[in-house]
Amino acid sequence: MALLHSLRSRRLWLGALSIATVFGVYIWITNQPDNNPALLPPILDILASFKTNLTSGSLLTALGASLFRIAMGFFIGTTLALIVGCLVGWYKTVEYLLDPLIEALRPIPPLAYIPIIIIWFGIGEFSRVLIITIACFMVCVVNVIAGMKNVPQVYVDAASTMGASRFQVFRTVAVPAATPFIITGYRIALAAAWTTLVASELLAAQNGLGFLLQEGRRYFLTDQVMMIIVIIGGCAFIMDRIFRKIQAHLMQWSEARE
Amino acid sequence: MPEILVDNLTHTFGKGEPGALTVLDKINLTFESGSFNSIIGTSGCGKSTLLKMMAGLFTPSDGQMTLDGEVIEGTDRRRGMVFQQDAVFPWMTVAKNISYGPRLRGASKAEQSEIEAKWTEMVGLRGFEDRWPRELSGGMRKRVDIGRVYANDPDVLLMDEPFGALDAQTKERMQSDLLTTWQKSKKTVVFVTHDIEEAIFLSDKIIVLSSRPGRVHHIEEVSLPRPRNDEMRLTEEFLAIKRRLWGMLDH
Repeated sequence: MALLHSLRSRRLWLGALSIATVFGVYIWITNQPDNNPALLPPILDILASFKTNLTSGSLLTALGASLFRIAMGFFIGTTLALIVGCLVGWYKTVEYLLDPLIEALRPIPPLAYIPIIIIWFGIGEFSRVLIITIACFMVCVVNVIAGMKNVPQVYVDAASTMGASRFQVFRTVAVPAATPFIITGYRIALAAAWTTLVASELLAAQNGLGFLLQEGRRYFLTDQVMMIIVIIGGCAFIMDRIFRKIQAHLMQWSEARE
Repeated sequence: MPEILVDNLTHTFGKGEPGALTVLDKINLTFESGSFNSIIGTSGCGKSTLLKMMAGLFTPSDGQMTLDGEVIEGTDRRRGMVFQQDAVFPWMTVAKNISYGPRLRGASKAEQSEIEAKWTEMVGLRGFEDRWPRELSGGMRKRVDIGRVYANDPDVLLMDEPFGALDAQTKERMQSDLLTTWQKSKKTVVFVTHDIEEAIFLSDKIIVLSSRPGRVHHIEEVSLPRPRNDEMRLTEEFLAIKRRLWGMLDH
């Protein structure tokens, strides 16, 4: 227990150390007399920008808009991926039908769909959510399929010989056995959601974190750009942490938790 | 009462194709109800294949098997199986593993707890009900596996080298405990092993298969008295059977 505790705290300390180092180096550079604050704004300017945008309400509006897009795209994308992935991974007929299609679409980066989506649906909310949905679906479905295909045969045989129907085997064996893969798929989908969110907002949005980035570039507000980058990093980090907690809870049974 | 009949069974992998491999050739066997039977033979004699066919996990290319006169087709809870590999579901606690079968058929919470209590006790896992399988040793996981199959109350118990991966001491302990459990319920058991001593200690009847293709080479009736104990492993009668069977397996 003591060993585990010391390991955990060592991990925490080292993680904090690397972040502190980056901050330290940044502060040191921005304090140099020949630093150009338009390129590397001092931390205080970034904090000031944070305060301005917070009090004006523009930051919270942008954050709200972005989080809504992430939530919608992530939820729809991963839910579809779970359904399609389970069917493809478990039923041979569905696999033969859909696997070539998924494999063909897989290498296409989700951002490549942006032009065609804009042509079809314009630059509205629907298009932005759609891009995130596609991104989440593609990365997640592959993991769900892999999970279903890696269910050890002996578990399937054991359940069958105890009288489980094909559907019962699916529900009580295949899905739980595939959980580690499925959760990984969800986590990768979350990261993909953030990546595509910013890209879609950079291209076409009137609000959102990506819009504030674009605005900062246009008016040369480097402190605002920096501030948004930190916000995005922080949000994605917190979400991933929450996800890890859920994962650790669902995976109590597994040898390889964490 | 459940009696298994293997009727002129032949199995060829890739039948009708070039490179077809006959693993079992014209097997005729009777497993009497309530008896303990072992099938021994060197690796590759098709003994595991034969057992999996009894479980209904795949179909023989020729001939058939019947349980109480009914042709065996597909899996059925009446024919329970313990596998060589670890088949305990790691995502369920010991208790949930034990009550898996009854739960499939919609057993109530009360029935489930009753079954869990009874079978964790029977296989010696009392106090471990809420543990995850990852927290147990290999031998204990095998106990979960056996308890789970028993709790499902099959007519026939098919065991495919269940103790193959255990150390010698654990193995002997598990054999004795298996006999104790079996004595209480008298299910028909078909036990596949390559361990001669294990087969003699456990069985009423030992079937020796020759290899490639597997044919019934010899049937040994073991008349050692029951209940059996570890001292019997050193009796003249036990050793005589061991010598006889040892000569039959090509080493």
